[in-house]
Amino acid sequence: MMDSPEIPPSSTTPPARRRVSSPTSSVISRAEPALWFTGGAMVLCMVMILTLLGFVFYNGARTFWPVPIVEVTLHDGTKHMGEVTRRSVFIPSEERLEGIPDASRKMVEDAEGLANRKLIRTGNFRLTGEHFNWVADFETAPDGVAEPEWAVLLERLTWGRFYGFPVSFKIGDEIVAEGPQATWTQFNNYHEEVRKRWHRRKALEKKDIGKINHAMEKLRLNVREVELAEGKDSEAYQQAAAAIVEPMDVLQTKYDTLVKEIQALDQENDRFVMTLRTASGQEADIKVADVVRAYPANRLGLGEKVSIYLSRWAEFLTDEPREANSEGGVWPAIFGTVMMTLIMALLVSPIGVLSALYLREYAKAGPLVSTVRIAINNLAGVPSIVFGVFGLGFFCYILGGSIDEVFFAEKLPAPTYGTGGILWAALTLALLTLPVVIVATEEALAAVPNSMREGSYACGASKWQTIKRIVLPRAMPGVMTGMILAMARGAGEVAPLMLVGAVKLAPELPFDSFAPFFHLERSFMHLGFHIYDLGFQSQNSEAAKPMVYTTTFLLITIIFLLNILGIGIRARLKNKFKGSAV
Amino acid sequence: MEPNSRTTYSGRTRERKTKPAVLLANRVAASVITVGGISTVLAVTLVCVFLVSVAIPIFFPSKISGPELYRNETSLADEDIPLKRMMVNEYQTMSVSVTRSGELIVSHLRDGANILRRTLFGERVPNDLRFVGDVFVGGFSDGTIQTGELTFNTEYVQPEEVPSDIRAALDEGSVIFRKGVLERTRENQFRLQIVSVDINEPAELEPGASIERVDISMKLASPVIAAVSSSGTLHIKEISSRYNMMTGQTIVELFGGSFSIPSGKDKLPQFVRLAGLGDNVFLAWTDGQLIRIDARRADNMAVMEEVNLLAHDQGEITLIEFLVGKTSLVVGDDQGNVSVWFRVKPENAQTVDGAKLIRAHELEPIPGKVSAFSASGLSRQIAVADDRGTIHLYYITNRRTLGRLTESTLAGTVYGVTLSPKDDGLFAWGPNGYHKWDLDIPHPEINLQQVFGKVWYEGYNGPEHVWQSSSGTDDFEPKYGLIPLIFGTIKATIYSLLFGVPLAILAALYTSEIMHPSLRAKVKPTIEMMASLPSVVLGFLAALVIAPAVEDHVPALLATLVTIPFALLLGAHLWQLLSHDLATKLKHFRIPAMLLSLWVGLKLAGGLGAWMEHYFFLEDIKLWLSTREGSGTGGWMILLMPLSGIFVIYANGRWITPLLKRRFATASRMHYVCVDLIRFMISTLLAFLLAWLVSSLLVVAGLDPRGSYIDTYVQRNALIVGFIMGFAIIPIIYTLCEDALGAVPESLRSASLGAGATPWQTATRIIIPTAASGFFSAVMIGFGRAVGETMIVLMAAGNTALMEWNMFNGFRTLSANIAVELPEAVKDSTHYRMLYLAALTLFVMTFVLNSLAETVRQRFRKRAFEL
Repeated sequence: MMDSPEIPPSSTTPPARRRVSSPTSSVISRAEPALWFTGGAMVLCMVMILTLLGFVFYNGARTFWPVPIVEVTLHDGTKHMGEVTRRSVFIPSEERLEGIPDASRKMVEDAEGLANRKLIRTGNFRLTGEHFNWVADFETAPDGVAEPEWAVLLERLTWGRFYGFPVSFKIGDEIVAEGPQATWTQFNNYHEEVRKRWHRRKALEKKDIGKINHAMEKLRLNVREVELAEGKDSEAYQQAAAAIVEPMDVLQTKYDTLVKEIQALDQENDRFVMTLRTASGQEADIKVADVVRAYPANRLGLGEKVSIYLSRWAEFLTDEPREANSEGGVWPAIFGTVMMTLIMALLVSPIGVLSALYLREYAKAGPLVSTVRIAINNLAGVPSIVFGVFGLGFFCYILGGSIDEVFFAEKLPAPTYGTGGILWAALTLALLTLPVVIVATEEALAAVPNSMREGSYACGASKWQTIKRIVLPRAMPGVMTGMILAMARGAGEVAPLMLVGAVKLAPELPFDSFAPFFHLERSFMHLGFHIYDLGFQSQNSEAAKPMVYTTTFLLITIIFLLNILGIGIRARLKNKFKGSAV
Repeated sequence: MEPNSRTTYSGRTRERKTKPAVLLANRVAASVITVGGISTVLAVTLVCVFLVSVAIPIFFPSKISGPELYRNETSLADEDIPLKRMMVNEYQTMSVSVTRSGELIVSHLRDGANILRRTLFGERVPNDLRFVGDVFVGGFSDGTIQTGELTFNTEYVQPEEVPSDIRAALDEGSVIFRKGVLERTRENQFRLQIVSVDINEPAELEPGASIERVDISMKLASPVIAAVSSSGTLHIKEISSRYNMMTGQTIVELFGGSFSIPSGKDKLPQFVRLAGLGDNVFLAWTDGQLIRIDARRADNMAVMEEVNLLAHDQGEITLIEFLVGKTSLVVGDDQGNVSVWFRVKPENAQTVDGAKLIRAHELEPIPGKVSAFSASGLSRQIAVADDRGTIHLYYITNRRTLGRLTESTLAGTVYGVTLSPKDDGLFAWGPNGYHKWDLDIPHPEINLQQVFGKVWYEGYNGPEHVWQSSSGTDDFEPKYGLIPLIFGTIKATIYSLLFGVPLAILAALYTSEIMHPSLRAKVKPTIEMMASLPSVVLGFLAALVIAPAVEDHVPALLATLVTIPFALLLGAHLWQLLSHDLATKLKHFRIPAMLLSLWVGLKLAGGLGAWMEHYFFLEDIKLWLSTREGSGTGGWMILLMPLSGIFVIYANGRWITPLLKRRFATASRMHYVCVDLIRFMISTLLAFLLAWLVSSLLVVAGLDPRGSYIDTYVQRNALIVGFIMGFAIIPIIYTLCEDALGAVPESLRSASLGAGATPWQTATRIIIPTAASGFFSAVMIGFGRAVGETMIVLMAAGNTALMEWNMFNGFRTLSANIAVELPEAVKDSTHYRMLYLAALTLFVMTFVLNSLAETVRQRFRKRAFEL
């Protein structure tokens, strides 16, 4: 391939060598422009990668930091109060510039028709019908931007954020405090206590009532089972139906007591009400129980800011989502992602290792094995969505459908396993990541020097003994690497999950206190799907954006950690083998 | 035989025979691993097999079995053949037939016995009778019309009301009971189906004239009728009926207008057909003449066009009927030709309403004279019978003949044919009785032509590739053409490869060949790690961050294509100005300097973008793109600037540099470097001028780039997808290229460098040719990745199934389409199977690409090993 016509045939005497080292040709052959071209491509790639990561990390880390609340007064006296979300430059239309004082108008004219504006998160959706407001600089009255001392931000269970000034605090009908300072103190006095009651109420509702519902459902299913087996006219059915009446009553009584208890807690909580005034002067009564977190943003010291920041992170990591996923936490999604990935790893590693062992240690090299290898490499390139399609058709509909018919006939036509669920998602992803594990394991097995196998055989060990005691332990780090890389790939895949079980809001975790504890048929939440859903399906996408950034931040962190772990193990493995005899 | 053990000098007894447990473990392990390994491999092939097994049934040929005969020897008068209406119920247990003279015959489809025989209008015999669905209208000689409704009603009979003998008979099948048909359902209920007829009061249309032809159509809730009277008048009337509580009578009122049929026609039209919604009336004569009348305003009707329905001007029309939706007309003649006509809206239409009735489909001719007809209520499937006893079953849109049935006993006397309500049975009635065929055609609308070819859908101006799986209306026909999706996939792939491949290859070349190894150890893992970045993250950033940001800076973004390479080259030429010693001392600052020139390139792009927008794009590129105002020069420049840049670089390397090399062979370094800088600046200028010149020439030649690769700007577009998906495939291509470069034996490199070649010469003349096949396979694998990528295109491509190369609009890929539609597709429906076919297509595409890449790579490895 290296056809160099300049090289003279060796038989003749070489001509006198001409030294060509003129500065010109040296400059040309160094090809500095070409180097810069390739180098520029590399630098550009790195810049893009670092910008992207930096952008995601910056936005993800910044979101929960409490920012000051600003109050903007417009020329016409309208006031907007809230947090500044972002700023941009725009070209205002002629109509918007009408009726604006000349000074402001000149500001726009000086900037060649451009104007700055900021997006203010004003909250108070129930009063204004808006979550956000764009405010242009030229619309703002002179000295119209202030950071009022007593502006308070409330994060609520429903209706989004509230920005306002504390006015008074009521317990029952009695006003116990007036004025911002006193109201705020009273609020802080009672907030924790009220929230405790609220948590207690929630626990009752979720755990205790959940238990009763579960028991009732079980009784009903028993009857249904008898009905399916014996028919509705049969005696067995009548007996079964009669047998559950009494336990049902007992459960119903328990249920009623719990409901009463909840009502009592609610009543107690409803007595605590804080009245706030918005920037535009409207007053609103807000139940203390509805307030998740509140702080006077402009009075915070650094320590308080840090503690709010951390408490938001804690809520994000451990709590359930609320407000159509745009607030609260992502605990179910974290749990779903981790559990799905773990099940996947449990499924994929033995199968992958088994196949790799077969291919590397047992199968006789030949066209068959190389075909299989090509097939496996090919499988690695099959689009993930195709696996999703396969998973839906084969696992959910065919396998799941059959399981339902055999074991869960009493629940039909509502499917149990015959629809997307965490098991099917894990199986689908296991298939998807199988090539990763097989290839990595094979590489690790191949890296075990043959001399070690031969030594083992020479000592009289059987093949399995050799594999078990010599080959596998040495290959283990490689296998681990493969597994971790597979997990990293699996955790980040979203497309197939959309088909086989990831949902925007799962009512129950796939693991709970009811036997058999692991509910592999349940659909689950997933961080990646959460990002897609928040960014694209959410009604209030501007308010969901911070959440998307933090979720992205979290997902990338998890995946990068897994990757770094995998790469680290691989590096250690390489070092270990450097020293060993080959 | 040797003893099993003997004493050794160490005093320990040594086992000389392997323990059975070890042997057993060995054997078990071997079999488990073999079985496990082989079954895994089999399981993997299952993916492909399963996709095929789900997708393939859409192409299965139709299965028609029968006929089964239910004897029924009712004889009809010649003028009553064919029937005006024949239908069977959902359970295929009873048939209802209506003759031209208004006689209703209900038969039991088990023994063929007649259940009921009566007239619809009592003593009155209609001149004409027409049905649309369950609703019918008759026209009478006294100038009146009368409407009514004919339906199957279902009621459940209490078990105790069913006599025991009937109960016993029910075990065999359905039984006639109370003028209906009784059946036992699977839930053990007694289901009675009866025919109910509601007749409205007659309404007077034209006193003193006889109503000769009628038709009816449903306009929202109220029916509209069209009628032709013996005086040659066409009446279009909307019927409103009011129920009078006081008298208990229904008052029928007619609103609408009349229209005199143009003179010159000696006879009244044989066919009057009122289109769905009552917006058009078609009057046709047996000689093939058809006039189309716009009836949207009943008080101001006008003839829109005249059409000849006969294909070869011979024979006569025997059948004109509507398809479901009452938009397409099926026309049959006595030669056996069957064609389908509908209105299209071509740009050059001569008619007032801009529509034109055209023959869109010509179906396979039937041997005899076309007589009886039935259209499915669900799809574009029809059954046509001729006078020789042949029945053809067609699917209109793809012109498929689903079945050709011949039954000699039906010859000359097919009373009527009908498709069952679920399209699973075909019934024909003749003098011997009812013939029943079982139809098993789950996917009549699909054949290869339909999936991969152009198809002429109802209302379209011509055959097109369309994917549109659902819509709001009931009589919507799903359009399953995969080509737009494949097109979208390829468009996305090409744009992302255009961006990703050069960057990845150049970056790999630099890291592998030129960069210092210590830095490489940092750069490589960073880029590799990006391969595991979830694509949902990239998709989210593309759609919600990059797309809105780019929207305001389109010209600047396009300008970067030119300015960044320019800035880099400029940087290189300036760097050359440094003396050799200084350059060596500053070598660690070369990469920061590149960074700086990138920044300069971006800044320049801002300036150039604004300048281009000002001079070429009428100050607003989006406006310029969506209208056809201004000149197209700027558009051509977008394409031609990079091309002319490449050309100028090539020309420089090929002709100018060797020339300069000879000319300045003895010049000092500094001297030549300055000359080189000047050469570079002049080249840049020339490149720009060349692009501008060619663009202007193209514009002068009358070519406008808008409408081709650039057109109206949409926020989520191919450019964005190309950018971010290119970014997504950079890591994989980069890694594979880097590996390919790394696999080139060190000896080659050392030999070249040792012979005095510079790193760049070594790279281009030794390393790249050796690693080229590795590059190829890297690109193929990158290609495969891009083809299957789902989340990015789902989020950033806008998901409209368009077929345009325009880089500023969206598209829909196979993968995104599956992700969007599969969760909603009903299992085993045509839609579901089509999506499996889409997945299979995707699978095959990536399989071919990967196999290609794998084969090339294997060969490359072998060669690299041999070197």
